[in-house]
Amino acid sequence: MKTIYRTILIAALSLILVLAAAAGVHAITANQPSPTESIEYSGEFPLEPEKDTCIQCHIDEQFTNIWTPLGRLVLFGAAGLILLFGVARSASVWRSRSEWVPIPTRILAWIDERYQLSEFMKPILAKPVPDWQRRWWYCLGGITFFLFLVQGITGIMLAFYYKPTPTEAYASIQFIENEVLLGSAFRMIHHWSANGMIVMALAHMLRVFIMGAYKSPRELNWVSGVTLGIMTLAFGFTGYLLPWDQRAYWATTVGTEIGGSIPIIGDLALVFLRGGWSVTSLTLSRFFAAHILILPLITVGSLGLHFIMIRKQGVMKPL
Amino acid sequence: MSENNQEKEVPFYPDHVALEAKVALGVVILVVIIGVIGLFAPVGLGASADAMDTPLHVKPEWYFLALYQLLRFIPKTIGATSPVLAVVLLLIWPFLDRKPDTSKKTTKIRFWLSFAAVLVIIALTIWGEVS
Repeated sequence: MKTIYRTILIAALSLILVLAAAAGVHAITANQPSPTESIEYSGEFPLEPEKDTCIQCHIDEQFTNIWTPLGRLVLFGAAGLILLFGVARSASVWRSRSEWVPIPTRILAWIDERYQLSEFMKPILAKPVPDWQRRWWYCLGGITFFLFLVQGITGIMLAFYYKPTPTEAYASIQFIENEVLLGSAFRMIHHWSANGMIVMALAHMLRVFIMGAYKSPRELNWVSGVTLGIMTLAFGFTGYLLPWDQRAYWATTVGTEIGGSIPIIGDLALVFLRGGWSVTSLTLSRFFAAHILILPLITVGSLGLHFIMIRKQGVMKPL
Repeated sequence: MSENNQEKEVPFYPDHVALEAKVALGVVILVVIIGVIGLFAPVGLGASADAMDTPLHVKPEWYFLALYQLLRFIPKTIGATSPVLAVVLLLIWPFLDRKPDTSKKTTKIRFWLSFAAVLVIIALTIWGEVS
């Protein structure tokens, strides 16, 4: 009985492989229909028609041949057959269900056997948390971190469509707001969660300061925390320029000017921030690079230090 | 917090993780609500940037507004240097204030100190917003 199931499984899998190969060969060899014939885009955002890959005709199923729909039918059909096979197999072993170990548990056990994660995780998970620590004012830092994760996810979503050049930045944000599915929602979340992050970080810092939790042996934790606070503000400052509207442009001009009036290093700071003597496309490029590469890396590194030290030293117990 | 339950402890997993998950869920709900509002009332954009056209009132974002307002009244050099010095002071603060706390009195002093600082910042921000 067992061999029959195995044969069906192998047959289904090889069918998928053969058809995927056929579809691949066809995709390379077949003449591509000219996409300009089948699509007319009239949005505000300037799509280059000769480069458009015609996603819409695939959604509309305007196929020019039989291979793609057939391939899909067989692919999804085979997936369905494998599912059916699983159900049938499960039903056939129902008698021996007491020995059954759920598949996620088995996968975890398999990984654990190789990486020995539980050895590493057990002391982390088993660490007791005192009852006095379960109060809302100990949540503020955690909420800041959670909002940072939200910023990371929504930021990646926005980066898919954002173009960091003066000629295209503004139009690409209009595109995100008007055309992209849920684009305006993601931009709204990114905008407000940035503000929330600053408020929460400030509240967290005030809590730590008032309770005196920065004192020995937690001085370096305070230092990494202040670094994270500076990073949060730097994120806000660099992110504000990216829409490239009047407000963004002039706020950055004024903001970098303040840096420029520091004695001795002022000019250096100004040129470093602007990439020249005025706010140009170079400023936009470096603000974008800072916003999506440099600042996240520093932030993640500081977060690591911050969290390791909290684990090692624990939260300060108030008097 | 009451003194009598100080000895009580809960395991980090699953008890404390569950509590943190509830807080995270609350934040997620808030974030989703903000996203739904964004679908109907997007953040929006101003006019496209124009280096030739300086607007009458240039204002930074609210979290730099207090500093910006301060800079209107003090000389530019001091105004630009003081935030840098303030950040450096904040960074090395634990190495300046090293005496361990012995009573609640120091906590109270720090509370009123930060209360005053926050009040000044809020006042400057509102002033900067309306002016």
